[in-house]
Amino acid sequence: MKFKAFLTENGVNLLEKRFLPAFDKLGKTCFLFLTKEHLFFLHNLLNGDGVQCIAQFRKDALFDDYHVSSQNEDRIAFSLDVSLLHRAVKSSVSICTEFSAGLASNSNRLQIKLVKKLPPNCTQPMPFLTFETKGYKSAVIQDVPISRPLSRSQVIELQTALDSAQDLPPTLVQVQDPNQLQNFVDRMRHVGDVLNVTISKHGDLQVQISTALVRLGSEFRRLSVIGEKSPAPVEDRNLTAQARSERAVARGDAMSVQVSVKHFSKSLHCHLTKPDSAFYGIAPQGSCLTVIFQFMVPGTRQTDKSISLHCRLPVLDPGSN
Amino acid sequence: MSSSPAIEPYTLDLVCQLDNVQGMVDALACVRWKRQQDALVELSEHGIVLIVEESGCLQAKVYLQRELFTKYEYGAEGRPKFGISLGLLVDCLNTFSSPGHSNTIEIKYPGPDMELLLKSVDTLNSCIYSEIRTRIPETNAWDYNFEQAGTAPLTFTVKSSALKEAIDDLEWPGSILQISLQKSPPCVTFRGEGHGDLQIDFMYYANTDLLLAFHCDTDVSYGYKYKFLKATTANIPGNVVRENRGSKLTIGRGGMLKVQHLVSVAKAIAPQVESAGYQPPSRIAYIEFFVKPEEPADD
Repeated sequence: MKFKAFLTENGVNLLEKRFLPAFDKLGKTCFLFLTKEHLFFLHNLLNGDGVQCIAQFRKDALFDDYHVSSQNEDRIAFSLDVSLLHRAVKSSVSICTEFSAGLASNSNRLQIKLVKKLPPNCTQPMPFLTFETKGYKSAVIQDVPISRPLSRSQVIELQTALDSAQDLPPTLVQVQDPNQLQNFVDRMRHVGDVLNVTISKHGDLQVQISTALVRLGSEFRRLSVIGEKSPAPVEDRNLTAQARSERAVARGDAMSVQVSVKHFSKSLHCHLTKPDSAFYGIAPQGSCLTVIFQFMVPGTRQTDKSISLHCRLPVLDPGSN
Repeated sequence: MSSSPAIEPYTLDLVCQLDNVQGMVDALACVRWKRQQDALVELSEHGIVLIVEESGCLQAKVYLQRELFTKYEYGAEGRPKFGISLGLLVDCLNTFSSPGHSNTIEIKYPGPDMELLLKSVDTLNSCIYSEIRTRIPETNAWDYNFEQAGTAPLTFTVKSSALKEAIDDLEWPGSILQISLQKSPPCVTFRGEGHGDLQIDFMYYANTDLLLAFHCDTDVSYGYKYKFLKATTANIPGNVVRENRGSKLTIGRGGMLKVQHLVSVAKAIAPQVESAGYQPPSRIAYIEFFVKPEEPADD
């Protein structure tokens, strides 16, 4: 099994400044899944518990000279500690910058590869993801320890989980200002543990905490809708947010689920990746709450299809429908 | 733009609007010395008063007079009172506030189930709302019956930041803090004894930028539990320090201590106006603490 690639400047920026800081907050460890065309960062995909997060990069979004080969259809997967990876990328970047001062810009490149090495005080060679920066006179090598690469059957399990996590909810509403939502949820955390999320085909998103002593919520209306949509009935316009969502759910125009406030807050860390907007939807039968982050090609209004990021939050209750 | 429900069969005791939620959060947080505290709220045509107490020895009041509000419609007969969790009220109000903006909030009482109703009113396609349960208060708030000590008031005004610092510094000596007023030379002393001792003096003529006013015709000295004094300054909001405000302390009959702060509830306005240090009186919330003394000092 072999993996070798050179991180491009764009790749380094994406990882060091945007994605790794977010992944660091999402969970201590994650799977790195390499295929012929893509690289995936996968959080909590195989254990049912926390926030699942799937980040997919087309190889050329991050790398030059990307080579991956294995006996398992050229797929490799292993888990690693995200903070160690983040640290390695950060320090490799500063070394690269030092080396390139005064030299031609392409004379050193950041190479990343899979190796097996014998660490000190060990009898067995262990797998590492190695970062290598070759300068004019010296080279710097950083080893990030990784788990043993997954077996064939484990990879199949991972791939299956990945495939089933790609289903799109029938209705998605677009939140243009994720900061407003984040600011609200960050402050709401002190009030309760369970969040009711209601999404309607009219483009309404409502998040609410309800305890014995208080009901606290925020409603966002007239959001753009992707997928199944329907116009809001005129008679609902002047109702309270609560009444409006209850009627929409009763009509079948909206779905409501309960998620943990902690999980929702955690998923909001994905804003560190600097997405252009976020889409929220509830999976059929209320099986999970899905958030899909959209990235545009810089300076355009076109979706950047080389990067995709989405989260799935476990639902606490079947929810009302 | 959505507003109140379609049917409203009863008149509300109060409908008011405030154009700066953060100011109200600051004023209420000033009297929050524990995570969860029960408060008593009294509504009147003059404004809203919130009262918090602890163990019969410490009471705090927040006065939000009607002039603070951009709208204040009072429809009750008499003065409705209800109990509410202060912690919950502050945490909820805090969600209405977003950094860098002045957020307008509408407060209504009572809801269909006697709740306190909050709603944001300044955004077009989004809103924040909250309904907080209230309860019937079991007892009336303790009337601390603050009376003047003698023929003339014993009072001094000290810069709020200096007061807070002095009380913070006196944390380690012991559990009783002695406050003494000396007529001549005019001086206020804070003293703590226990694990070592520490004394902080504010001399009236020496520190005119710290001690802003001083009236004392007889020497007095009283001790107060440290934790109660700490509660009176621990949560002074940042704007009080920035605006260079003073806090007024008065010692009443029997050594009862009254501590008064002023908290600005105004919107953030042009820097040049702020630095003048002047706020129209109607944009200020008044905070009062009453602290009972420990056994009288023998002096």
